Amino acid sequence: MADIYKMHGIKKIFYEFKLQFVITIIFLMIWLAFYLLNPPAFSNTFTYTSIMGVAPFTIIPAISLTLIIIAGEIDLSFASVMALGPLVMALTWQAFGEPTPLGILLGLLAGLGAGLLNGILITKLGIPSLIATIGTLFLWRGVVLVVTEGFSIPLGEFRNTLIYNVFVGRVYGVPVQFFWAIVLAIIFWIILNRHKFGAYIYYIGDNRTAARMVGINVDRVLIIAYAIHGMVAAFAGILDSLEMATFWPALGDIYMLKSIASVVIGGTPVTGGIGTIYGTFLGGMILEFIEMGVLASGVSGFWIRLVHGVVIIIALAAQGVIRKGELARIRIMRLLTT
Amino acid sequence: MAEKNIVEMHNIVKRFGAVVALKGVDFYVRENEIVGLVGDNGAGKSTLVKILFGIYAPDEGEIIIKGKRFKRLTPKKAYELGIVLIHQERTLCENHPIWRNVFMGRELTNRYGFLKIKKMKELAYKSLAALELTKMPVDTPVKYLSGGYKQGVQISRALTFEADLVILDEPTIALSLAEVQKVLEYVRELKRKGKSAIFISHNIYHVYPVVDRFVILNRGEVVAEFYKKDLTPEDLSEIMISIARTGKVPKEYEELNLYKKASP
Repeated sequence: MADIYKMHGIKKIFYEFKLQFVITIIFLMIWLAFYLLNPPAFSNTFTYTSIMGVAPFTIIPAISLTLIIIAGEIDLSFASVMALGPLVMALTWQAFGEPTPLGILLGLLAGLGAGLLNGILITKLGIPSLIATIGTLFLWRGVVLVVTEGFSIPLGEFRNTLIYNVFVGRVYGVPVQFFWAIVLAIIFWIILNRHKFGAYIYYIGDNRTAARMVGINVDRVLIIAYAIHGMVAAFAGILDSLEMATFWPALGDIYMLKSIASVVIGGTPVTGGIGTIYGTFLGGMILEFIEMGVLASGVSGFWIRLVHGVVIIIALAAQGVIRKGELARIRIMRLLTT
Repeated sequence: MAEKNIVEMHNIVKRFGAVVALKGVDFYVRENEIVGLVGDNGAGKSTLVKILFGIYAPDEGEIIIKGKRFKRLTPKKAYELGIVLIHQERTLCENHPIWRNVFMGRELTNRYGFLKIKKMKELAYKSLAALELTKMPVDTPVKYLSGGYKQGVQISRALTFEADLVILDEPTIALSLAEVQKVLEYVRELKRKGKSAIFISHNIYHVYPVVDRFVILNRGEVVAEFYKKDLTPEDLSEIMISIARTGKVPKEYEELNLYKKASP
C-alpha cells in the first residue's frame, strides 16, 4: 500500500485514472465481443461510420450534462430543449425559404434561454434541480407540440447546401457530426481542467459550503453551466434534425436516459464533485456500440435495452468496487500523514 | 499603545426567533494580535465570528474593518477584505489536490481565466514547506490527509492569500495531541508573519500557549477580557468555572479585567 502520489510514470497514471481505465476496458471488451459474434459486420467500415453518424446525438448533450452532474445537480429538460432548438431553426428556415445561419443562431439562443430559465429556477428560487427540470421538460415539449400541432417539418429541400455539409456532411465517409462531438469534448475537457470556471464547477459539486466561503459566486456559476448546457442540447437537436432531414416533435425523447446513462457509466457519480469528459464520451460510445452490435449480430432489437441494462450495472458495480478500495486506502493514508 | 484595530464590532445583536444569541457585543482585534475567544457552549462564539465572516447578518450594530463601516457582510466581501475562516475540515474540497485547495477561489490565471497550474503548484509547495508540510506531494487529494494536515492546508491557504485576519473556529477539535501541537505551531507562524487571528476553542489549554488576549463570552455577552501575560492557565480556568457557575469574574481578578461595562 505504497503512497500512490509518490509514484511515477505508468503506475501513477494507472492509479490516478483507474476509472478511465475501467471504462476503456469495458469498451474494448464490448467491441471484442461483438467482433467475435459477427466478424464481417465489425470489420466493415460502414458499421463504424453508422455509429459515428448517430452517437453524437447521445454524446453531445451528455458532454455538457457532465458539467451539471459534476456540480451536483441534474437536468432532464435537455431532452425537450433538443426539440425546441431545431424547431426555432426550422421555422426560421421556412420563413426565409433558405437555410440561413440566422436560423441556427436563433435555435442556439432558444436553447441558451431555456438553460437560463433552469438555472434561475434552481438557484434564485431554490427549486431542486430534479423537480425544476421535470417542469421545464414538460414545458418545452408542450411548446413544441402546441406550435407544430404534432406535425413534422420536412427539411429535405435544404439538403446538400453548404450549411448542411458543415454540420452533418461526410468527410471521406465520416459523418461531420462526429467531429463536432470530438471538438466539443476537447473544449469541455479544457474548460473543466484548465479553466477557472471548470474548477468552480468541481468545487461546487465537492463542497458547496466551502465554495461559498471562499467567495465563489455559486449561483452565477450554476446559471452559466445550465445556459451552456441548454445551448449544447439545442445544438445536438439541430444536428439530429439535419441528419434526419426532418424536424419531428418527439425529437430528443430517446436521448434523455441515454445521455444521463453515458455520464454515469463514464464514472461521474450523481453525487457530484468528480467526473471526466473522457468517461462520458466512451460511455456514450458503449451504448451506441451495443445498439449497433445487437442489430448487426442479427438478434431481435428487443435485446438492446437488456444489454444496455446489464452493461450499466456492470460499469457501476466496477466503480463501486474501486471506490470501496479507495476508502480503505484513505483510512491508511490518514494515519500515515498524522 | 497606538496599535490599530484591524476589526471592530460594535453593539452586535443577533436574534434567532425568540432567542437572543448576542446581546450587544463589542469586540475588536488589533493588528498582529491573536485573540482567544472562549466561553461555554452556546455562549455565542461561533455566532459572533459568523457575523464577522458574513454568514449571518446582525440585527443591530456595526462592523468596522480596516476603517470601513458595514451593517452586514457576505463571505465574498469578507474574503475580499482579507478575512479567512478556517473551520474543522469544512472548507476543503476532499476530492481535489492540495494545490487546488490552497488556491481555491483565488486561482492564478491568465487574463482569459486559464489556470497557471505550474505556478500554483510551486507556490503551494513553498507555503506548505513553511509549515513543514512536505510529507505529501501537492497533487495529493485532500481526502488522504489527516485532520491536522488538513488544518495545515487551510492555514497555508490563508498565508498564500495574504489574509490579514484568520478566524479559526475550533481548529483543534477531534485532533490527536501531536496534531494539536502542530496546529498551534501554524498559529505561531501566522503571528510571525504579522497576521491577526481569532482562535475559538472550548479548551483553554489549546488556546493559552498562542494567544495574546482572551475574550470570554457568556450567554451572548462579553463578560471579561484579559491579557495573557496577566494570567496563568490555572487562573483562567478558575475564572471560566466561576463565570459558568455565577456569570461573574471572581473578585480577585476583577482589576485585571480589561472589559468594563458602560453602566453598572
